[in-house]
Parts: sequence; C-alpha cells; structure tokens
Amino acid sequence: MRQWLRIVLPKSYMDRQRRAGFLFVLPALLFFGSVFLLPLAQSVVQSFYRNVPGGADQFVGLRLYEKVFTDSIFWAAVSNTVHLLFMSVPSVVVCSLAVALGLNRIASLKWRNVWAAMYFLPFACSLVAASLVWQWIYHPVYGILNAALGVFGIPPQKWLQSLTQVRPSIAAVNIWIRIGFDTMIFLAALQSVPPEYYEAASIDGASAWQRLRHITIPLLNPQILMVCILELIFNFKIFDQVYATTQGGPASASQTVIMLLYDTAFKYFRFGDASVIAVFVFITLLVVTLLQWRIFRKPVEY
Amino acid sequence: MANLPEAGRVLSRASRVAQWRWVATLLVACGAITVFFPFFWMAVTSLKTPPEIIRVPLQVAPDNWLNLANYREVFQRENFVRYLFNTALVASIAALSSLVVSSLAGYGFAKFHFPGRDAFFLAIVAILMVPFQSVVVPLYLWVSRFGLLDTYLGIVAPDLVSVFGVFLMRQAIEMIPNDYMDAARIDGCSELGIFFKVILPSVKPAIATLLIIKFMWNWNEFFWPLVVVNSPTMRVVTIGLMSFTNIYFIEYNLLTAAAVISILPILLIFLFLQRWVVQAVVMSGLKG
Repeated sequence: MRQWLRIVLPKSYMDRQRRAGFLFVLPALLFFGSVFLLPLAQSVVQSFYRNVPGGADQFVGLRLYEKVFTDSIFWAAVSNTVHLLFMSVPSVVVCSLAVALGLNRIASLKWRNVWAAMYFLPFACSLVAASLVWQWIYHPVYGILNAALGVFGIPPQKWLQSLTQVRPSIAAVNIWIRIGFDTMIFLAALQSVPPEYYEAASIDGASAWQRLRHITIPLLNPQILMVCILELIFNFKIFDQVYATTQGGPASASQTVIMLLYDTAFKYFRFGDASVIAVFVFITLLVVTLLQWRIFRKPVEY
Repeated sequence: MANLPEAGRVLSRASRVAQWRWVATLLVACGAITVFFPFFWMAVTSLKTPPEIIRVPLQVAPDNWLNLANYREVFQRENFVRYLFNTALVASIAALSSLVVSSLAGYGFAKFHFPGRDAFFLAIVAILMVPFQSVVVPLYLWVSRFGLLDTYLGIVAPDLVSVFGVFLMRQAIEMIPNDYMDAARIDGCSELGIFFKVILPSVKPAIATLLIIKFMWNWNEFFWPLVVVNSPTMRVVTIGLMSFTNIYFIEYNLLTAAAVISILPILLIFLFLQRWVVQAVVMSGLKG
C-alpha cells in the first residue's frame, strides 16, 4: 500500500521514476482490462443468468449449463470440431515440416525464396476469400477438382455438399491456409541449426534418415510442439471457413463450436446460452495451453 | 591402388546426394505449384464470362485474357471502393494505435521498476489464452450500449492494442543500453522526450514488424466486423465479399473478381515486405 501511495505522491527521484514507468504501462493495462478481462468476467457471470427480453435478467444457477451440455446439437458441434482438428492438425504439421526440410535443402537461394514465397502466400490471404475460392474448386458440377479427377475416370464427388466429405474437404482448406505459417516457423528453426552437427554426423557415417531422426527432429522439438498447440487452438476456433462456405451444413455435418456460439448469440440472441459456450471454449483452450506449458517445462532432450 | 574402391564409393555417395537434392527440389516445386494453384485459378476465373465458367469440358484459359468486365461489374454492384477504404482505414488505425500503446508499455516494462511490474506483464501475456470468441458477447453489448455499432471506432475497438505488440516492443527495447537514456536524462530530456527521441528511433525494425503484421491481421479480420457491421457503407472487404455469395446461386466469375480485389493489396504488401512478415511470424511463434 505504502509503495502505491509513494507512486501517487512521489517524494524522491526514484519514486518519480517508478511513477513514470507505471504511467507508460497504464494505457495498455486499461485497454486489456476493459477489452478482455472485464468481458471475460461478464461472460462467466452471464452464463448463470437467463435474459428475458425486455425484462430483468434472472439468476438460474447452473441451469443454462445443464441445458447446453445436455443438448445433442452442442455435442454434435464439439464432435465435428474435434473431427476437423484430428484431420487437419497432424497433416498440416507433417506437411509443413516436410516442406521446410525440402526448402532447406535447396542450394540456390534465389529459387528457395521463390518456392518459399509460394508456400507462404496463403498466410496473407483472408480466410473468407480462401474458403470461397476453394468452394469454387470443390464445385460439384463445374469445379476443377472434379474435372481433374474425371481425367483419371473418377466420378464427380459432392465435396462440401456431401455429409461424409464435407469435413475432410474443410480440413484440406485449413491445411492449405496454415501451411505457410507453420513452414515459416520450421524453416527459421532449421536455419538456426549449426551445420557442424550434420558434418560431424556425416563423418560418423550417419545416413540421411538417421540425421533427420537423431539431429533435426530432436532439435526442432520445441517448434514442433509449439506449432501443434498453435494449430490445435487455431483449428478449435474455426469459424470463417465454415461460415463462408457451408454455414454448418449439409444437415449440420460441418457445424462447429464457434459457429454454434455465433448463431446462438447473434442469430437467436440467446446471450446466456452463448456465454455458456464461451466459457466452455475458454476453459478448453486454457487446459490445452496449460498442458503446453507443462510439456515445455520438461527439458528438451538433445 | 588399394583405395580405388573407396574413392568409387565416395563418388557414388556424392552423386546419390546430388540425385536426392534434385528429387527434393522437384517435390518442393510441385508442392509449391499446388499451393499456388488456387490463386491462379481465382485470377483465371475472374477473367471469364458466365458461359465460359460453366463450359463442359472445362477449359483452363479464359477466351480473353484482358476481359475485365467482371471487375467493372463488381465495382458497380457493390461499393468496393468504400469497402477498400474502410478496411485500409480500420487496419491503419489498429496498427498505429497498437504501435503507440505497445511501445509505451514495452518501454515501461523493459526499463522501469515499479511495484507489480512482473505480475502485470504476466497478466498481459496470460490474455493470449483468452480466445476472442469468449469475450465477444459482452463486448458486443458494450459497443451497442455506447452507440458504437456500425462505426469505425466500434469496428476497430478490440484491435487497438495487441499482446504480441507489447511482447515484441518489450523485447526490442530491453536491448537498448541504459546509458543512452541516462545520457538523455543528464541533458535534461523528459521521460516522454526520451521515449520519442531515444527509444523509438532505436527500435525501427520492431516498429516495422509490428505495423506490417498488425495491418495484415486486421485487413483479414472477419468475425468481429460480422458482429458489429450492419449498414453497407461500413462494410470491410471480407464482409463485402460475402455479399457475392448465397446458398442457392453464386456467380463465381464475380465472386473471384471480388476476392482478387479484396486480397490483392495485402498480397502485394506481403510479397514486398516478406522478410518482415516472416520475422513477425517467427517472433509470434516464439511467443507461443
């Protein structure tokens, strides 16, 4: 308390310095407090209240949680999201790692930059534009994907309009969107590996596979873990891609958690139910992030 | 001549490495072309007429490579000039404001000691764990209570500061030797004067990184504008793009033209400033 009083009423030069430091930080603190912490607390509070149109909010305890968590629509959305996650996260991590390894082997710096730029490009593209262009590629009648498959005698598929193909199709779009981001991180990490390690391994007669398995992958461990977590979070929050293309269809086969949150809040204006989903999303991602910290605390083995 | 077979083996190994290098290059190139293809296809479709895009069998090249009718039609149907302006304005405000607030905070965190400093910094980093979707309903209610729905301030409000910015600026400012600031203090410079005359000029690369990545993020923003924007005049490009879609019938020649218009500015920025963007991504990745 005394410390704070001395900041408000500085007595010495050092007090004034402390006050200056605090004032520099203050705008950011106020902003984050009012845009993230206060609304987060409100989300939690709101999840205990049923809002009656035109009337006062009514405290209902855990009743809204019971309502949402016993709703099969909610669990269908969770299951769709997890499906998407399992289809896109491992593939995008493996693909981008492979791309980064390949790019790193290209000797000509000019060509490496050209190919790398092509992989990075989707990162700059908005999710909406990307999804809509893919929707055109996936078009069941006039799409180029079916035309290309037709060359090999494969009959036209319905892709985004099929109950079974819609999730893999969206997962493929996600992989395309994210490959640039992940490749950038892996490539930067690969370029910081000291070449002496590989020279020493070559002298010892290690094969390319052994060098990958025993030098590269262990050294990239932190980045691989981090990319996995970032992808988990990104894919769990999937919204734009679904909203722009299928709107959750066909027959809710691509309804995701954030889609459900958006519809509940801004289509049906059930803010209480939406807050329950918001709290669910927050807790889920919190657990994922804390797990990440636990994993990161373990010393990485070289 | 005992070492001849040995030399042969070394030679064959070297040629095998060279072969592998070629295979790797080839695979990387094929992958790159595949990844690039949707951009190509978007551009090509935007140059076709409606009969061309439904022609069977499908034809890759447009009949006329200079057919810009779709672009003209897009600008006639929707006020895309306004959308581009709105987006550029909102993204610039977000980038500049986040630069100012983040660098002030970064300076405070890096160079001053005050009670609770480390706790405050941890709290800000912890905000990374709060998904925006978890706070969107109360934010929407606040924005509507203040009458900010459908205004620039309402669209830009949650993006005025970024945690990444605070983190980045703190990191960069920490590298500046304290002697620089002390010298300025001895010369009678105020703390704010030091900030503008000593600190900011020394962290130009971090400033550029933050401005570019924040501008890109906000250009592509969709969820929040979707929530707060109602009137056509306040639309940003991602929302404007959605007006070319509907469930029953989509004119893909117009849609792809609109998509090209909406992403071209940001693709150009990305291509010309790629080095900075990559640096920002790697930094934001390190932040986790």
